[in-house]
Amino acid sequence: MMRALRMEWTKLRTDPGTRWCALALIAGTLAVSGLADMTTDALDCVPRPCTVDATRISLSGVYLGQIGAIVLAVLAVSREYESPIIRSTLAACPRRDRVLVAKAVVVLAAVAVTAVVALAATLFAARVLLPSRGLWLSLADEPTRRGYFGSVLYLCLVALLGLGVALIVRHTGAAIATTLGLLFVTPIAALFVTDPLWQARIRRYSPMTAGLTPWAGLRVLGAYAAAAVIVGAILFWRRDTVSEG
Amino acid sequence: MRQLLRAELAKLASLRGTVWCLSLGFILMVLLSAWVVSSSKFYGDLPKPADTFSFVHRPMSGDGSVVARVTTQDDSHPWAKAGVIVKESLSSGSRYAALMLTPGHGVRLEADFTTDIAGSAGGAPRWLRLTRSGGSITGYESTDGTTWSQVGTVTLDALPWTVEVGLFVSSPLDFEYVQGGGAQGIGIIPTTGRAVFDHVNVEPTDSSTGWTYLKVVPTPTPGQPQMRPGPGGMTEVDGSFTVTGEGDIAWYGIPSFFRPDARDIVSDSLQGVHIGLLAMIVLGVLAAAAEYKTGMIRATLAAYPRRGPVLAAKALVVAGVAFVVGLPASTAAFLVAQPILRDRGVRPPAYPYRSLIEVDVLRAVVGTAAALALLAVFALAIGMLLRRSSRALPLVIAVVMVPQIVGPLLSLDADKWLTRLTPTAGLAIQETTERFDTAIDPWAGLGVLAAYTALALTIALWSLRHRDA
Repeated sequence: MMRALRMEWTKLRTDPGTRWCALALIAGTLAVSGLADMTTDALDCVPRPCTVDATRISLSGVYLGQIGAIVLAVLAVSREYESPIIRSTLAACPRRDRVLVAKAVVVLAAVAVTAVVALAATLFAARVLLPSRGLWLSLADEPTRRGYFGSVLYLCLVALLGLGVALIVRHTGAAIATTLGLLFVTPIAALFVTDPLWQARIRRYSPMTAGLTPWAGLRVLGAYAAAAVIVGAILFWRRDTVSEG
Repeated sequence: MRQLLRAELAKLASLRGTVWCLSLGFILMVLLSAWVVSSSKFYGDLPKPADTFSFVHRPMSGDGSVVARVTTQDDSHPWAKAGVIVKESLSSGSRYAALMLTPGHGVRLEADFTTDIAGSAGGAPRWLRLTRSGGSITGYESTDGTTWSQVGTVTLDALPWTVEVGLFVSSPLDFEYVQGGGAQGIGIIPTTGRAVFDHVNVEPTDSSTGWTYLKVVPTPTPGQPQMRPGPGGMTEVDGSFTVTGEGDIAWYGIPSFFRPDARDIVSDSLQGVHIGLLAMIVLGVLAAAAEYKTGMIRATLAAYPRRGPVLAAKALVVAGVAFVVGLPASTAAFLVAQPILRDRGVRPPAYPYRSLIEVDVLRAVVGTAAALALLAVFALAIGMLLRRSSRALPLVIAVVMVPQIVGPLLSLDADKWLTRLTPTAGLAIQETTERFDTAIDPWAGLGVLAAYTALALTIALWSLRHRDA
């Protein structure tokens, strides 16, 4: 198992795409969070008291940053099929379950470490930027901590979802489009849904909206990710290594 | 060039992803549109006509006229009203004909919550006269009280012999929109109108009764919160009446009747576009990335060494395919949505029925296909620039979709600027009603998307000329 882990880690580390994705996760999260911090206006709102959720604003960069986590996870799988490395991988380590577990572990570790750094940076940015907008963010608050750890977990789970989808479709473009479509399309269409019943359903079952409301919602996202990974694992187990794409 | 176009089309058609993108995109776009309208809440039962206003009244029997001069009117709201009125009874919701001045919309003759006739654009001071003759009531306006011009005639059938006539003042609610942190709210701000009248007269004169002030308010429905009695009053000094009041006499069909939560039915019908956008982004990126992935680009450029025509042919083919698939998809989405909307209570007078032959509907439906085509070319250009779908796809999806998700978290102003400055602005082409969250004019929005596409194409061309394939 250690060998499989070392092998997967070497592959992930040496792929330049990984570094770009990690960088995109940090930069994207910081950029959107910073923009949200700076444009929030809690000083002058009409129905007082203001209903602005400081934690939610300061962590909103996750919407953009998650793309980095997803692409990182997708590439860890799809790159293997696009170059025939997958054959060498399975020749070196024929136990496919070990390969898969090792891959998931190194991807999750990379995403988790990057997410911890990126989200800590956004919280510190919010501490600096929000007071001038009439909001105050305390790092010791329960909602802040919950938002922080919930977001780290969220990013790990969307990475797992990307990994699962990539195992199923084995094509970089298709995996990225499917995962991002699954996450983004319902929340955007939901902006035009006005029936409270349906709004509640979307909040509860759409993977992104649910996943960003800790903790119960994370279970929903976890279920999507688990389903994708399980189907992907079964296909990985049964299919030949030759990519169809 | 024709050969080039045919070659590009053949390459695009041979990609397995193309068929997937276009067929899935088409089906899901129609389904998503249908789902959005069928999971939206529309009120089938319309509220009853209701009116709230200050009324200085006296009875009038049989035919006759009520005349007054509005000497001043406060600009409390563009649709504040001050004028003369003939009303069936003193209860709210009863039938009426009213001739009025408004600070923003000139002279109006309105009747029975459904009729609105515009008079001259002038404001106070102005003479107003309503003359009853049987069931028909005619409104006249004048600047001097001697030369009168007719505004219009309305018919109120079965009006009782004795009606209430007099002066009225109203001023509707203002709304303020706030959003931030994902929450949206509408703040209600009451406004109070004030007007001064003189030369108030009823013909034939009847000295048996004087003028009485009444604030007309809707009868409270059980279970509904009752409206608090707002400001309103009347003082009379030497035949000069100063009347203050709030509220409005309006309903669907009267332009001053404003629903802050009114939907844009046409753009709501086309919301499946978001899945179409995704499909077209994938199409554009794949058309570019496949060339580099397989090394086909070298063969392409060996056959046609001039970079400009190659890129132009690629853009034309991608745009053409996206438009040819996008147009039936948006047309089908619109047509499927209309009966669903009708079933859910979206019908006159609250919302007119919309059909494809209307200019703004046609603009929205064809414009949706145009936006899809432009976006596909934008994705193609980014794909040619970055050469790999793993780079181009996340970038284009981030630029197009993330602003729409982050926007509602920001303040309304920041949200609007985000829409104006990103390719998302192109979706404004679907809008047919001006709402509080309208960010940009439909054509200007499509222009923003076109500008992004042109810029990306220019950079892609530069890169194609100056980099090795």
